[in-house]
Amino acid sequence: MKLIYLGCLSKKTYKSTCDNAISIIKLLDSEYQDLDDVPCCGSLSYHITSEKDLKEHVQFVNNWFKEKETTDLVTICAGCYSYLTNYYPKYLGSDFNVKVQHLLQFMDQPEHRDKLDLKYGGEKLVITYHDPCHLLSGSPKITEEPRSILNSIEGNIILKELEYAKNISICCGAGGGVYSSFKDNSDYNSNLIFQQAKKARAKLLITPCPFCYTSLKRIKEENKKIRIPVIKFEDFIYKLIEGVDPIA
Amino acid sequence: MNNKGKELYEEVMVKTSKVQEKDSLERKFTDFWKLACLAKNTNCDIPMKYDDSTLEFIDKHREQLSEMRDKVVKNLDFYVEKCIEMFKKNKFKVYYAKTNEEAHEIFLKEVGDVKTVYKSKSNEAKDIGLIDLMKDNNITIKETDLGDVLVQLFDYQLPTYQVGPGIHFDVKDITAKIKEKYGVELENKQSAIVQFYRDTYRKELLNDVKVSLTSANSISADDGCVVLLENEGNISLLTRATEKHIVAVGITKIVPSVFDAVLITKMIERSNGADLAYISLIYGPSGTSDIQAIPVKGMYGAKEVVVILVDDWRTRAANENLFYLDYLKCISCKTCSFVCPASAAYGNTFASYYGLGATAIIRDYIHHGIEAAVKDGLFLCTGCENCSRWCPTDIDLANMMKNLKKEATEKGFCPPPIKEYQEKILKDKNPFK
Repeated sequence: MKLIYLGCLSKKTYKSTCDNAISIIKLLDSEYQDLDDVPCCGSLSYHITSEKDLKEHVQFVNNWFKEKETTDLVTICAGCYSYLTNYYPKYLGSDFNVKVQHLLQFMDQPEHRDKLDLKYGGEKLVITYHDPCHLLSGSPKITEEPRSILNSIEGNIILKELEYAKNISICCGAGGGVYSSFKDNSDYNSNLIFQQAKKARAKLLITPCPFCYTSLKRIKEENKKIRIPVIKFEDFIYKLIEGVDPIA
Repeated sequence: MNNKGKELYEEVMVKTSKVQEKDSLERKFTDFWKLACLAKNTNCDIPMKYDDSTLEFIDKHREQLSEMRDKVVKNLDFYVEKCIEMFKKNKFKVYYAKTNEEAHEIFLKEVGDVKTVYKSKSNEAKDIGLIDLMKDNNITIKETDLGDVLVQLFDYQLPTYQVGPGIHFDVKDITAKIKEKYGVELENKQSAIVQFYRDTYRKELLNDVKVSLTSANSISADDGCVVLLENEGNISLLTRATEKHIVAVGITKIVPSVFDAVLITKMIERSNGADLAYISLIYGPSGTSDIQAIPVKGMYGAKEVVVILVDDWRTRAANENLFYLDYLKCISCKTCSFVCPASAAYGNTFASYYGLGATAIIRDYIHHGIEAAVKDGLFLCTGCENCSRWCPTDIDLANMMKNLKKEATEKGFCPPPIKEYQEKILKDKNPFK
């Protein structure tokens, strides 16, 4: 079975983003399925959980995968990607037999990119992309795929890099549960990402991580001076497919 | 809900909230520190000076530095012996102090009846406890690094930036303080303040120093050399225009050769975006053999150079715990702090007695346990792993912080909001159920 692994944060908070991601994935490979009650990968608390509890949790999730005969998985969450590619092989070894891909890798496969055939018909649009740390810490790290996808878009669209891009990207300040406990961290760092986007003269900030998105969205809502909209990667792509203005 | 976790969480909230208070010293420091982090995080740290960025420089030398540091920390005993042997050959007076207390005794013996010690920034002297020791023994401490002179002027107690410890003080505040203390009215300009200290203090540094205290940035084992870097010239004066120069240094500053030491100085320079003017390579006391080829110690430079090699926690840490062994590879370049989102957001409230950032919090953990680390702000770390990606000696600092968080959680010290997620994930397999 090929599974769409949305991740708990997206599933709980960003329903339309999930719908868009599901549409894109199914458009590219109709065998992928979205199931109810998919267990959490454990990424949100891996840094505070004992090896024993983590192993048990990972085994539980792997058994669930086995039960559903999961062979392939595409996730839209940067945290899930990092955790599934690092810790599942670490704890489960050869018992973990699911091919894990992030949506960005999935979309960037040449046949999928051809199938997507992304076009933008509007006026000149400068976009920028923020690298989330979870995609840098995933295995392999994902930095080129989003750029390859964004650069493949036909039309008057220009990708401008943030000053701190790829390996030197600034963390949004929300990870590790810090968003739930110490908000000042994301106040400062997410604001900084917007400042960088402004410096790049971007009209749209794109992020593939639901945690970064949550943090960036909040700081934008709280700070009227921030004019640049932030959009989740799959929402941006879906809008292009639908021919809708991505800024609207 | 665990009460201790809640209590510690609230304590950290109070501490970090000071960063948001207008005109608080924490706010002033953090405002400066944010700019420093931004400047150091960027691709062209010292604009237009170098062809490569700091990260490229780090990437180019990481393997070499990491292997070299690994070799030293895994063979500390050998390198300590080698160092002592070479220092003796070079006519240094050399001591090996097993503990800080032993180092204190040696230091007091070497200072003797002298009542004033001139010191460079020497972070390790503070670390080893020499500052408190001098205060307790009524020895006047004369700071010479301008940053530390300012810190002393303001009686600033909070952890600060090792390269520019007084860099966040306002020009106006400094001139006001100088007027209050010395009765001298200065123009509100950086250059006027510098000129004031040059005019008044330099003479004293050239003529009156009996005992000076520094800490080495590195010491090389194969040729017995003390390596010090600076941009003010205070270290050059203190190590030359003195009767006795005391170097207090932790044994993990040992490197195999002087070339390794120079590479470390360049790494520290690049990481800190500091434009260093001098690197001192000191091979012993000054001397001459110009009169009938008979060697006489103490020509114009220092008559005596005393090296106190301090072990204290280091060998024990290396033997007891593999994660400490990795930690001992640190060259104190502070790259990890510059690229840390928590450090940028929280400045010197994400810190411990030992300094800024994650490395200082881990040091506190080694000495005072997990509760101290939680109070320092362990849980402000987002786990973004920037520190590990940048570290020039390949230390997995992010993993160490993660291990500390696990230990804290097991002991019930985790902030309640983070703990709730964990409980739901393990129980319900969904953090938002």
